[in-house]
Amino acid sequence: MILIVGGSCQGKTDFARKNFPNAKYFNQLHLFIRKRLENGKEQAEILSEIKEEISEGPWVLISDEIGNGVVPIELFERQWREVTGRILISLAKEATEVYKVVCGIGMKIK
Amino acid sequence: MIIFIYGGSGSGKSEFAEDYVCATPFDNRFYLATMNSYDSESKLRIKKHRNQRKGKGFITLEHPMDVDEALAEIDRIKAPEFFTNNSLEGGCIVLLECMSNLVANEMFRDGLIMDETSCARKVLHDISRLNDSLETLVIVSNDIYEDGGQYDIGTKAYLKALGMINRRIAQMAEEVYEVVVGIPIKIKG
Repeated sequence: MILIVGGSCQGKTDFARKNFPNAKYFNQLHLFIRKRLENGKEQAEILSEIKEEISEGPWVLISDEIGNGVVPIELFERQWREVTGRILISLAKEATEVYKVVCGIGMKIK
Repeated sequence: MIIFIYGGSGSGKSEFAEDYVCATPFDNRFYLATMNSYDSESKLRIKKHRNQRKGKGFITLEHPMDVDEALAEIDRIKAPEFFTNNSLEGGCIVLLECMSNLVANEMFRDGLIMDETSCARKVLHDISRLNDSLETLVIVSNDIYEDGGQYDIGTKAYLKALGMINRRIAQMAEEVYEVVVGIPIKIKG
């Protein structure tokens, strides 16, 4: 599995399409996690759901980095950032390659 | 010597910082905690970090402000009478976590808002004092700069102060790391 992270509007999807044209994509992982949290799911459940989803075939996971801002006032927003971060750390550990995309340029960080 | 570790919320910067400290040969590991435990969420966070540190051999020092006062505490702990087996001889490494809390505590202390330059000067003075007396000082700070948000005057002053401090510490540091999804990227040193 390949993980691609970066800020919003950095060209992560284009980078993925160009470099891994034959893979399956799981895009906007951060929004998937948000929806699951809204439905009362917990970090561990969400992570296993993602892992189950990507169990077969070459997968590219794409997520915004959402933890690089001022700590939000709303509790839910803080939880979303924290849980997304933790899930991405777990996925990055299992990934064969990890990229951070800045201005369309992908840096291989693993 | 300063080692600076930077990253967003939930980036894994604390774990990396702890592992970094544990990989050094220093006998004495101090964890200089700067978070105020004023509500249940911060208490929970402190508990989480404590559990994460468990078994890694850290002695916890709590200084939400005036971090240079930790030096006197370290001296007291290092005094031979503190431990009968005098186990605290040898070099010291201090992990300060986290700069963003420290700056908030300093800036809004006594219910006032300190101006950003005075705040940065005060914090950097304390950090220099710590650095002068310690073998290695590992500082963790938070990237809170990439949401493009517009904030009130107090928050803006805080952002500026922390930004000045982060830049100065990165300048002073021998090594600087940015942690992304648990992966440390060395950006200096």
